[in-house]
Amino acid sequence: MNIVVCVKQVPDTATERKLRSDDKTLDRDAADGVVNELDEYAVEEALRLKEAHGGEVTVLSMGPAKATETIRKALAMGADKAVHLSDDALRGSDALSTSYALAETLKKIGFDLVILGSESTDARTGVLAAMLAERLGTPQLTLANKVEVDGSAIAIQRVTDYGYDKVEASLPAVVSVVEKINEPRYPSFKGIMAAKKKPVETLAIGDAEISADQVGLASAWSEVVDFAAAPPRAAGTVVKDEGDGGVKAAEFLASKKFV
Amino acid sequence: MITTAEQEELRRTVRALLERNPPARPAPDADPGYDETVWRLLAEQVGAFGLAVPEACGGAGGTALETHVVCEELGRTLTPVPYLGSAVLATEALLVCGAAEPLPGLADGSRVAAVAWAENGTWDPAAIRAHVEDGRLTGVKEHVLDGARADLFVVPARTRDGGLAVYLAEPSTPAVRVEPLATLDLTRPQARVTFDAAPVRLIGADGHRVLERLLAVAATAISAEQLGGGERCLEMTLDHVKTREQFGRPIGSFQAVRHRLADLYVLVESARSVSYDAAHALASGAPDLAVRAATAQAYCAEAFSAVAAETVQLHGGIGFTWEHEAHLYFKRAHSAAKLFGDAAWHRARLGPLVLGG
Repeated sequence: MNIVVCVKQVPDTATERKLRSDDKTLDRDAADGVVNELDEYAVEEALRLKEAHGGEVTVLSMGPAKATETIRKALAMGADKAVHLSDDALRGSDALSTSYALAETLKKIGFDLVILGSESTDARTGVLAAMLAERLGTPQLTLANKVEVDGSAIAIQRVTDYGYDKVEASLPAVVSVVEKINEPRYPSFKGIMAAKKKPVETLAIGDAEISADQVGLASAWSEVVDFAAAPPRAAGTVVKDEGDGGVKAAEFLASKKFV
Repeated sequence: MITTAEQEELRRTVRALLERNPPARPAPDADPGYDETVWRLLAEQVGAFGLAVPEACGGAGGTALETHVVCEELGRTLTPVPYLGSAVLATEALLVCGAAEPLPGLADGSRVAAVAWAENGTWDPAAIRAHVEDGRLTGVKEHVLDGARADLFVVPARTRDGGLAVYLAEPSTPAVRVEPLATLDLTRPQARVTFDAAPVRLIGADGHRVLERLLAVAATAISAEQLGGGERCLEMTLDHVKTREQFGRPIGSFQAVRHRLADLYVLVESARSVSYDAAHALASGAPDLAVRAATAQAYCAEAFSAVAAETVQLHGGIGFTWEHEAHLYFKRAHSAAKLFGDAAWHRARLGPLVLGG
């Protein structure tokens, strides 16, 4: 089975994240880049499926040159090889154009199963798996907390508010996973050393036949017009209960349109 | 750069593992034990216990720099696992003696070995009185790191003619008595091991050469732990002085506090330099290893003690409470400063090494 895992480098959630003042995109130099946490679960699930069914795990990442660190981490965990889609023209791409670029790359490199984390900690759109499936013309099985593959059939448990749905499809397919699905392994030192020697193919947009006018900041369907730092938390209002505490509380909630 | 990209990836891995599994802090009267979860994860997933073991013996075939990185990270969190005693010291002793057969078990973390060395409070090889006659060892060894859980002891002892040699002993005989010691540092278990005509096997005939090497390895590894502990103390203190307010402003804004913090930063960064210098000497087989290892231990022991003491002071009242972690680092600093010889002893060793004679 040819499994492709999409991983994204995101700014460390433990540090302050910033937008650039010039073009209002994410300032990737302001914070350390780490692998998007949910993508570690995606890599782990891919490795488990490979261990159970055989095949090969390819890491696919779209991002600047610095994203190589994230790719190495996934390779150190045990993935076999990687494709790094990296081009200045991709900078500022929104979810629609990212899904277009990744879909074109996936068509080029081939796949039986694509696995993603269900969202990234920086953009948090959570729509990429659905968009990719639509563009690739394959079934989408999203928010999985369990994945089972049997021959060309795939079944997942899809997490819902009331429990889970059982969703079945046939390969090729796109799956997104939630953090309840497994416990990602820590890379071994041997794995870290081996990752150095694993093949990483770097593609520019031309190599994947991605047209420049459909990606990048200029083609984005949404635009950040302005942004401001969140105001520091102001001191709250203290209401002394003189028999009218309930009324005051209700008035406050009404003023915020909660009641 | 003092480390490679792969060593930094190892550091990130170990740090993430230790941060996701914070150690349970010891109760005042509890027996110090090990963090079994972290022990298993470090051994089985990261392969940390086999870093110094050759690949042919089931290890990763790394250098002293990889174990150095792990010791530094364990020193930051004070997570109790049998690393320094078993994965660093006993492993090195077996390697130097060419006794390979226990190594696979140590490398995968399933077995523990301990070096039973100190007698009467000193690691000075000249002070060793334990002796072997007709293949039987008699003597009392103290401060045995990871001794209570050891499946195997590496023991330096006197030969019949008064020379020094290194032996292997198994604890599974009534002739070997192992008693856990009450330790000041609750995050590092130690034991007293009494050998009463215990059967042993000779593995190293030149005991002086083996102990010389082990002393350098121990001094280097402990300096890494001390560096890690110092780093963590400084971070905790910085977080505290930035948020703790007095007279309407963070206490870190007062000049008297800032001067102290600057001094602590210099101590920690100098400790990093001497500690990694010793690790490089070890990894590259440098001829002046003994000088660089003794320098690292002498400097880092005092640096960590100073940083830990200031951490208690700068935290104010909370720094004196059992609930705050500062006392754990303070106790670690002061007990580690005595392990394998204190700073004064290492400096006394440096004299003849540097000046000759």
